[in-house]
Amino acid sequence: MKKSYINAYASESSAGDTAALMEAIYNKQSAITIDRSYMPQNPVGLGMMEYDDFFVLLNGVVKRVLESSNLKNFSNTLLIVGSSVGGMAESESHYFRDKNYKNIDPSRHAINVIADSLKKEFAFCDARSISTACTSSANALMLAKRLIGVGAYENILVVGADALCYTTVCGFHALSVLSSKECTPFNEAREGMNVAEGIAALLVQATPQEGGVELKGAGASSDAYHMTNPDPEAKGAMASMQKALDDAAITADMIDYINAHGTGTEANDRVEALGVATLFGKTYMSSTKAITGHTLGAAGALEAIIGCEVIKRGLIPPQTALKKAENEDILLPLEAVKSDVKYVMSNSFAFGGNNTSIVLGAL
Amino acid sequence: MKLYVKAISSYRSDREDIDVKKELKSRYKLDTRRQDAFIHLAVLGAQRLRESAEIYENDELFLTSGVGNIDVIARTNIAVVENHQFIKPFDFINMLGNTTSYYVATSLGVKGKNIFDISDNFTYFNTLVLIYASLKSSNNEAVCGAIDLVSEYDEVFRRVMGVAQDIAVVSSVNYQKLSTKPEDAIAAVEFDTKSYTKEEIESLIAESGLKVYASMRCRDIDALQSKAFFETDASGWINSMIRDKESALYVESYNEKYKLLQVSML
Repeated sequence: MKKSYINAYASESSAGDTAALMEAIYNKQSAITIDRSYMPQNPVGLGMMEYDDFFVLLNGVVKRVLESSNLKNFSNTLLIVGSSVGGMAESESHYFRDKNYKNIDPSRHAINVIADSLKKEFAFCDARSISTACTSSANALMLAKRLIGVGAYENILVVGADALCYTTVCGFHALSVLSSKECTPFNEAREGMNVAEGIAALLVQATPQEGGVELKGAGASSDAYHMTNPDPEAKGAMASMQKALDDAAITADMIDYINAHGTGTEANDRVEALGVATLFGKTYMSSTKAITGHTLGAAGALEAIIGCEVIKRGLIPPQTALKKAENEDILLPLEAVKSDVKYVMSNSFAFGGNNTSIVLGAL
Repeated sequence: MKLYVKAISSYRSDREDIDVKKELKSRYKLDTRRQDAFIHLAVLGAQRLRESAEIYENDELFLTSGVGNIDVIARTNIAVVENHQFIKPFDFINMLGNTTSYYVATSLGVKGKNIFDISDNFTYFNTLVLIYASLKSSNNEAVCGAIDLVSEYDEVFRRVMGVAQDIAVVSSVNYQKLSTKPEDAIAAVEFDTKSYTKEEIESLIAESGLKVYASMRCRDIDALQSKAFFETDASGWINSMIRDKESALYVESYNEKYKLLQVSML
């Protein structure tokens, strides 16, 4: 199997571009806004970006990746998009205004519209969309690794993108998992998650470039346990992490840092902490969703970029907003830790027990 | 790229007059609560596959669809706008692709990788490529399901998929149990990542000497075409060829690009 390398990337989130995001992470500055626009009676913490048109922002992120890559264009590049709701925000606004579907723009409605729109703008050789909720772009990265592994493509752009919309904010509210404040992952007293929006794009290639990071391993599993709750014994989470380690041909003790899924919900954080404690013991771990909120389908890609930055900077991110950890068998640093980081694991877990873990390695 | 087919299952709304939900309850003794028509369709196909396929816990599950679960999105918007209701938890959950995957995985007892691939073009072809790449790495087997639901909100389906009003649209579900190894297989499916021009595809068809089937999007190709539209038509034709024990080609097109797959009976 051929190896895969992440050679260029760019992102936008509530904390800004990648440089601004990393600064916010290391300075423990949450980018969450307490919002009442979606539900006036129920304030919720949201990770909101500033834009007039989500698709324009999306094009800008992808253009930045192209400009920082060794490619002249994307004509020989496959596009894989991971998104949980695709164009729902725009269709929603049409429906709410017109009370019917007559004016919905078909090219901006379904989940695959992000891929279709980017394919038109940048002339990718082909495109596809993965929609597995919060693991969407982590699964896109895993599939990019597999496709490069068998020699199907030399260049694959993975894009994770999700915009905030009424359905996601109010849908998560209906599940009673939203926090009215900034989320506090892994805290004993935590209230829930912050829904957020984000765009992250990573160029995965078959040959390494200077400044690149190896996409060393990927693993996935399905709990098949419960629609919304993870297996309380963390069997599914541990299976995806172990498969990613096996795929990377490294052992758990070689991982220097874990970027946790860490949404701040009761169920996720308890189970993820149990899985990490069992498999890794005291390895540095933090959830950067305390800064960005949960960017849903974009989270896997955005947090893979954070993982790449951690390797390059040799600086492990602190756990923002941690007062008292619920599980004391995991190692959540209160401040950034300077370290020679060779391997990073990034976890993404989704509804239905859909688990994906990736391993990034220094070149 | 070549995958071996070990078992198949199909359902099409214009060919079988059954109540899918009742079928799941009465025949398969499954709990259908909190699920909607899209999920029921996906689970029905999976249960039918199970009747002829050996399913393993580490099987990988790949589901694909042209437009996904559009019903629940429409229902949610109507509830919010017209009925001034909050979003119902299970409507929200059922909107997500991996909710369908969860119910299929649970009904089959599979705990491997779980992917939902969605596109308005070549979605089934692209899913086959993903499965091939994944199985080459894992040496597992895959359950591949292709689902398209048409419902009372079919005007949205037609607009999103670009299907004219005078063309029949149908609900369908087709599954294959796939492996990279030929043992116990009934057929092989060959495909690649390439797209062809019309001239190239006609040349490939002529060279093959095989019978050719095509989607409704290939009106300019001399081939037997479907009489009703569903985006994952290719999956239906593969199953049809295998049922008829016929080695043949299938052609799909989108925006003047063509893709080809070949089914060979073993």
